[in-house]
Amino acid sequence: MLLRVAWRNIGRNKKRSGIIIGAVTIGLAAGIFLMAFYNGMIEQRVRLAIQNEVSHLQLHHPDFRKDFEIRYFLPDGSLMQKQIQSLPDVTEAAGRIIIPGMIASASGSNGIIINAVQPQTENKVTGLKQKIRTGSYFNPEKRNTILIGEKLIKKLKLGIGNKTILTFQDSSGNMVSAAYRIAGIFKTSNTPYDESNVFISITDIDSLAGLQHQFNEIAVLLNSDKNLTQVQQKLNNLFPTTEVLNWQELAPEIALTVSVGEQMVLIFMGIILLALAFGIINTMLMAILERTREIGMLLALGMNRLKIFNMVLLETVLLVLTGCPFGIGIAMTAIGISNHTGLRFKKFTEVYSSFGYNDVIYPELAVRQFIAIMVLVVLTAILASLFPAWRALQLKPAEAMRK
Amino acid sequence: MKSSTNTVIDAHNLVKVYDQKTVPVYALNGVHLHIERGEFIAIKGPSGSGKTTLLNMLGGLDIPDEGYVEINGTNITDIKGNKLIDFRLHNIGFVFQSYNLVPVLTAKENIEFIMLLQKRPATEINKRVKELLLQVGLNDKANKKPGELSGGQQQRVAVARALAPKPQFILADEPTANLDSVSAGNLLDIMAKLNKEENMTFIFSTHDQRVIDRARRVITLEDGKVVNDTAPARIIHNENEMA
Repeated sequence: MLLRVAWRNIGRNKKRSGIIIGAVTIGLAAGIFLMAFYNGMIEQRVRLAIQNEVSHLQLHHPDFRKDFEIRYFLPDGSLMQKQIQSLPDVTEAAGRIIIPGMIASASGSNGIIINAVQPQTENKVTGLKQKIRTGSYFNPEKRNTILIGEKLIKKLKLGIGNKTILTFQDSSGNMVSAAYRIAGIFKTSNTPYDESNVFISITDIDSLAGLQHQFNEIAVLLNSDKNLTQVQQKLNNLFPTTEVLNWQELAPEIALTVSVGEQMVLIFMGIILLALAFGIINTMLMAILERTREIGMLLALGMNRLKIFNMVLLETVLLVLTGCPFGIGIAMTAIGISNHTGLRFKKFTEVYSSFGYNDVIYPELAVRQFIAIMVLVVLTAILASLFPAWRALQLKPAEAMRK
Repeated sequence: MKSSTNTVIDAHNLVKVYDQKTVPVYALNGVHLHIERGEFIAIKGPSGSGKTTLLNMLGGLDIPDEGYVEINGTNITDIKGNKLIDFRLHNIGFVFQSYNLVPVLTAKENIEFIMLLQKRPATEINKRVKELLLQVGLNDKANKKPGELSGGQQQRVAVARALAPKPQFILADEPTANLDSVSAGNLLDIMAKLNKEENMTFIFSTHDQRVIDRARRVITLEDGKVVNDTAPARIIHNENEMA
């Protein structure tokens, strides 16, 4: 009966209830969509970082990452690569020689990271071939070719087919230089990355660097993110003297982005819910004020204070829950459509790119987040009902019925 | 006056003072009342004489500053909070001047509501609701909401609701004040019938001569004191004597 009364009370002042239901609808739709949008951004950043930059896992000599010195390589790198490739959860493992160096052209020079890669396996791990915007990928028949980022090539005022000089230290500490012809210009969604990385075929540098059939980095791409910890543990066991790091350890700034992003969404959601709570409190206080006489009558007839409290609480929760399906419906429709088509921010391509994001975001929402939002909304309704319910409890039947 | 087994209400020296910080106004000033089961009482008096305050005291809606009220031997002045609410639920029926039905519930639900609070079994509730609607002549209006009923019909639902928990007595505060003469007559007929057939005790506070005329006992209040407590015939007789 309490539920029936509470439900029907919502219809008593249609305009006022409508405003709150509308506020819940808009607030919830905005909150859910925003959360999905942030999720999409974060997921995209993580995905791009894994696919373009760090992969799921990387193996190095324990001292390599301190100064990126070429002399800290992985002994038996080729053997390690084969062992890793044979693991069931591994999609591909790419061996690399990573050398900090200098790129020079007639018009200038730039400090860079030289990524000497195995063209076939690298493409499977990072999809490097798909990122070529102009020119072509490595051709096995052509020696000493280089892939340069769009931003860097503009800076060096070079073009496809031009020669450029790479200077770096070999494994013995000697400075060596070699000329490479530009075969392709690549572009990822991370401009700073494009500006500071070049790619050459590992066979064009290994003898020069003094690291034949050796790597100082093996990047591992997994079948699924879920197996990350398990595979990392397995690799640690297989190669106990090697440093095995996952993407979160390799790029802590991305892990931080994930965590900060989630916190930001929660804060934003909190602000929406707080605003909503004040609206609910105001509405319910008005309702209590209007029904002072009725509540007095109920108390007089024998409805105890707990039931009065529950009635106000139920009415508030029902009022909020009435708005929920509309808010959820709008949000889910918007998420469904935008997840399919993507939200393109053409005007902000450069801005997004400079932070490592693509200009197309695909909003998405996890079930646990959806449940968390619903719990938060119901909690807000309950908390917002406490003050009006408390005010109702303060009424004395004789006084209330005189009003 | 000594309590008998038939006593429903015993009120002793009821005092209620308002505005105590400035000039004390005695809403009730030493009221004694003894009410037996099956009485049909009208409490009359000018505005501000203390009628509603007295009804509130008898119904446990207000607490006297002095004195106490016993209902069936229980001193309700000592009962507080939810226990007092629960006591009212099981012992006292209320009918208010402005009907005070729950507007979102139908006539049937308004009557059910009070019995649901008493946690009575559903079969018993259904049976009693039908009985009561029949008694007040509204069995064809069971599913109408208060807004769809006339004032007289709403007040009859209120009477049925007051009777639903099988109370010891019914307190009716100006029940006919908002009714036309036909509706008021019908309502009084129903209450008189219930009083006669079910021995239900009715206590009215009223200005309405129609109610006073039907009462078998009339209590007159003035300035918070009982100045007369007698049957209507005797009042007329006294007034004639005075004239």
